Amino acid sequence: MTAFLVRRAIQAAVVLLVMSFVIYGLIGLMPGDPIDIMIASDPKLTPADAARLKALYGLDLPIWERYVNWLSSAVGGDFGYSRTHNRPVLEIMGPHLLRTLILMGISFALSVAIAIPLGVWAAARPYSFRDYSVNLFSFAGRSVPPFWLALLLIFVFAVWLGWFPAGGMETVGDGSLADRGWYMVLPIVTLTLLNISGFTRYVRAETITTMRQDYIRTARAKGVSSRGVLTRHALRNALIPVVTIIALDFGTVFSGALITETVFAYPGMGKLIFDAVMTNDYNLALIGLLFATLVTLVANLGADLAYVGLDPRIKLQ
Amino acid sequence: MSVAAAGRNEMRRLRVRRFMRHRLAVASGIVLLILVAAALAAPLVERLMGVDIRDVDLGHILKGPSLAHPLGTDELGRDMLVKLLYGGRISLLVALAAALVSAVIGTLIGLFAGYYRGRLDAFLMRFTDGVISLPILPLLIVLAAIDLRKVGLPQSLVQSEDISLYRIIFIIGLVGWTGVARLVRGATLSMKEREFVRAAQALGARNRRVMFVHILPNIVSPIIVATTLSVGGIILFESTLSFLGLGIQPPIPSWGNMLSNSQEQMTTAPQLMIWPGVMIFITVIAFNFLGDGLQDALDPRAISD
Amino acid sequence: MTLRLTLVSIALFLGLAPVTDQAAADSHRSLTIGITQFPATMNPMIESMLAKSYILAMVFRPVVTYDQRWKLVCMLCVRLPSVKNGDAEVVELPGGKKGMRITWQIREGVRWGDGAPVTVKDVQFAWKIGRHPKSGVANREPYVRTVAIERVDDRTFVQVIDKVRFDYQLLVPDPMPAHMEEKAFREPAEYKHRTLYDRDFAHPGLYNGPYRVANIVSGSHVELVRNQNWWGREPYFNRIIVRAIGNSAALEANLQAGGIDYAAGELGLTPRQALGLKARTRDKYTFIFKAGLIYEHADFNLDNPILKDRRVRRAMAYGLDRKQMSQALFRNLQPVADTAVSPLDPYAEKDVRRYPYDPRKAAALLDAAGWKLGDDGWRRDAKGNRLTLSLMTTADNRTRSLVSEIMQAYWRRIGIDVRLKLQPPRIFFGRTVTRRIYPGLAMYAWISAPGSTPRSSLHSSMVPNPANGWGGQNYPGFRNKEVDGLIESIETELIPAKRRVLWKRLQQIYADELPVLPLYFRANAYVIPRWLKGIRPTGHLAPSTLWIEEWHAVDDQAKAN
Repeated sequence: MTAFLVRRAIQAAVVLLVMSFVIYGLIGLMPGDPIDIMIASDPKLTPADAARLKALYGLDLPIWERYVNWLSSAVGGDFGYSRTHNRPVLEIMGPHLLRTLILMGISFALSVAIAIPLGVWAAARPYSFRDYSVNLFSFAGRSVPPFWLALLLIFVFAVWLGWFPAGGMETVGDGSLADRGWYMVLPIVTLTLLNISGFTRYVRAETITTMRQDYIRTARAKGVSSRGVLTRHALRNALIPVVTIIALDFGTVFSGALITETVFAYPGMGKLIFDAVMTNDYNLALIGLLFATLVTLVANLGADLAYVGLDPRIKLQ
Repeated sequence: MSVAAAGRNEMRRLRVRRFMRHRLAVASGIVLLILVAAALAAPLVERLMGVDIRDVDLGHILKGPSLAHPLGTDELGRDMLVKLLYGGRISLLVALAAALVSAVIGTLIGLFAGYYRGRLDAFLMRFTDGVISLPILPLLIVLAAIDLRKVGLPQSLVQSEDISLYRIIFIIGLVGWTGVARLVRGATLSMKEREFVRAAQALGARNRRVMFVHILPNIVSPIIVATTLSVGGIILFESTLSFLGLGIQPPIPSWGNMLSNSQEQMTTAPQLMIWPGVMIFITVIAFNFLGDGLQDALDPRAISD
Repeated sequence: MTLRLTLVSIALFLGLAPVTDQAAADSHRSLTIGITQFPATMNPMIESMLAKSYILAMVFRPVVTYDQRWKLVCMLCVRLPSVKNGDAEVVELPGGKKGMRITWQIREGVRWGDGAPVTVKDVQFAWKIGRHPKSGVANREPYVRTVAIERVDDRTFVQVIDKVRFDYQLLVPDPMPAHMEEKAFREPAEYKHRTLYDRDFAHPGLYNGPYRVANIVSGSHVELVRNQNWWGREPYFNRIIVRAIGNSAALEANLQAGGIDYAAGELGLTPRQALGLKARTRDKYTFIFKAGLIYEHADFNLDNPILKDRRVRRAMAYGLDRKQMSQALFRNLQPVADTAVSPLDPYAEKDVRRYPYDPRKAAALLDAAGWKLGDDGWRRDAKGNRLTLSLMTTADNRTRSLVSEIMQAYWRRIGIDVRLKLQPPRIFFGRTVTRRIYPGLAMYAWISAPGSTPRSSLHSSMVPNPANGWGGQNYPGFRNKEVDGLIESIETELIPAKRRVLWKRLQQIYADELPVLPLYFRANAYVIPRWLKGIRPTGHLAPSTLWIEEWHAVDDQAKAN
């Protein structure tokens, strides 16, 4: 087990290293660095200004040299300054990261909390009206474009009904817990509606599969009530693969939040990374994206571990 | 008729029966057929209605439904119905093509990883991890800017407006295969332990033969299911890309760009947003139900997705 | 470091940070403005971004600015120096070159938010920052052109510039708080990381406007409160919050739902959104559509053999119904442009060649140029090559993509096969136009200051090429000796009447030669709640917030409803 974890940790480190190179290269390959754009938008800038600014931000060096410089200071724990914000990367990232984790964490927990009973409920009577309704609901959730759903919710609940704020993170000057929670309702509902459908489907499918297993039949034969079978035997076994899937899904936490954060003007990680990439803010984009990669890797590892737990025939190696 | 053939026929009949039991899936299949037919008929409808989708009519913008324009006109006075059909052509084409590309790449990688295991497996799976976490944004921008003439594509293709279409298909195919790869790898792993595979190996069949003749046909069901289910996701992804300004660009209409381009007019001209939104919703949900039905029929034990 | 940071963030997030009493007491008489961009830095000298100059105008005042009537006026100075009033004079500099000496006097009582007076030292400090190659200032030209700032007394100084130029009044550095920022500038290369405007933004000493920054939440909002040491007319609002909402549909929703009181005209709703809103909510808002100096146009690449022929360029102008386009998309609120000079500009010339919609004239011109109409509806030359051109533009702007589709449709009617190619702005501006690799037409906009000369966009030395380091914005590749000469004369001519003659000739050549297809002047849409008064759009780069102290609510009651 320890050997397995160590090997995976080494593999993860290698993936991160390779990814840092790939990301750096990709951002570097993107045409039009910000100084060029600055030149195009300000007729007063001279070619000399452009050359000076490029040198100032280190953009005049060849890309591999910049990468090596970045890597050597990053290994030493210095992740550098954000070019656009003129502040240390971690200082910028901290609050954004926290906001996204809170937003995504709550909506994840909520989705799971709703999806499990819903899926099991549907699985108890496969192909019944109830099952079809749950199916329809869960498929509907994953069949709308996210930004469309978000805008729709804003227009119904903020503009027409006026129940919730249309976007932002707090009433400036208030900022109490209740106030912040109020602002998070619509983004959380959006994300939950999008997540819940997939989870429900997994739970349902797993429960149905488990119910067909021999030991469930045995339990039934022994006279355990069907509700008892469902909750005590089937659910527990069905949950493991569900956890696997959810762990995998968590890897997309930042990219998943981008659209919601954009439409709701919620200053989180997804938007931060997007803007950093769009403005060639190397240090910020790199650390943001590497962090996202790390989350994915950890989630995958979690998924693998859960998978092994499920199926004793597959061994760690 | 041999016993085996009879068995196969029996199996097929069972599958068809299982699929037909899933009424929503059957209905979805029909809806999709109609949609595809309508999309293919777009130029015909255009001619029959006597409209020209590439011309504008600035005197008749944002008109409501009428006999001449059953769904009204858009912001430049073009017929909404015909535009919607053309948009469907593009959205369906992109989604199907990209799903197919992903399925092929994913199957190959999963098959090799699962069959050979060991170092190759570890490498391919970490590679998959890498691709999953690959930031798609800079990739899109880079690919949107590459001078395709330098890559060796013919001038006529590079100059055509369709090029943004091929780009999207290429990019989605390039990053969308990871789910299939994992699935195929898992299926190959368990298939490899089965007796008939071992028997084939023992009889000296070459690895490639074992992979493609013995294993692949037996895991094709989950691949079909996963690919069908992924089509819907790609249609949604295409609309999200449009929202971020990186999708298919006008004048080529797609449901995704029609939807995202109408957001500014959301309250003024809601019909611009409702129609493509409804089309996307119907299509995606239909593909999902179809996949679900196929799963029930072909592969009742597998975990969906 | 990270841990502590996270803890602080958690505390902030949970709302444990104390809410200031002032904020609670001032909840009315506060104004929330929505904009579509978040400023990257608040330092007045580093990076120029519209969002920053919009917010900065409320907390930091320039020495001079153009006002709503496009006249140069003093904000910090006592009077505008001119040759006429003797404050500006042409002198011979050591070395024999001609330059100018300009005497400036800072108004009495002008002070920073901590009470320290604004002095010549602050002007000299700004000049020092601006001149330094490593300070991160984008446009060094005004600072480098200034060869000396001589202190006369605490409020009076003489600025010496190294050239005679008509815009000598615009080169004066805006004072920076030396008593605050000197320490951060000790290591100029590190200045951009150490400036207090980002590190300690809530310090009152950094600001000299009616407001000062109280809080910045990156990506979300900026909170401004009254500057207790403000030296000018007292503003009405106690607190101003500027919220960034990037998605314009969401911005509109926030306006309607009350999340913001007002969407900034300069950086807010698109004119088409505003028109829609106007049709639906007649009484709630006042609508001002201010067309100004944002000039939408399509550059012809003059190196393209087809477009080299002036007849083709003119045919394309005649073949596009720009009036109908403006009518259909903007109900005529965005006037059709005849040249690059806005009709609001004092030097705008009416007597130029115009191109009203005339498809027959267009067809005749194309025939004359050798492009004959074929049976399939496309024009071909004698060798049978189809008349095919590409039109490139940015993909982020919905209006622009509609306009490009209209252009394509109209030109198709006269037999020109135009292919559209929309690119993300960073590619379009970062490479396509700057490297002049667009093969046909490129559509985008210029924003300029009133009366600025078109040197960078029309002078033949400004065609980007490897030799000039891809500098200059003459993207069409326009080379005209007479225009070069006119631009040079305009820049050094100080007498208005003579300047007018030069400007007239320049505009006539522009309209005759048509290196660029003028489309329209973009309008900013100001959607103002009925109770909010005093907003006066400028139509140029100076934001309306420079006059924030004139903004007021009709009465508090109206706002509460």
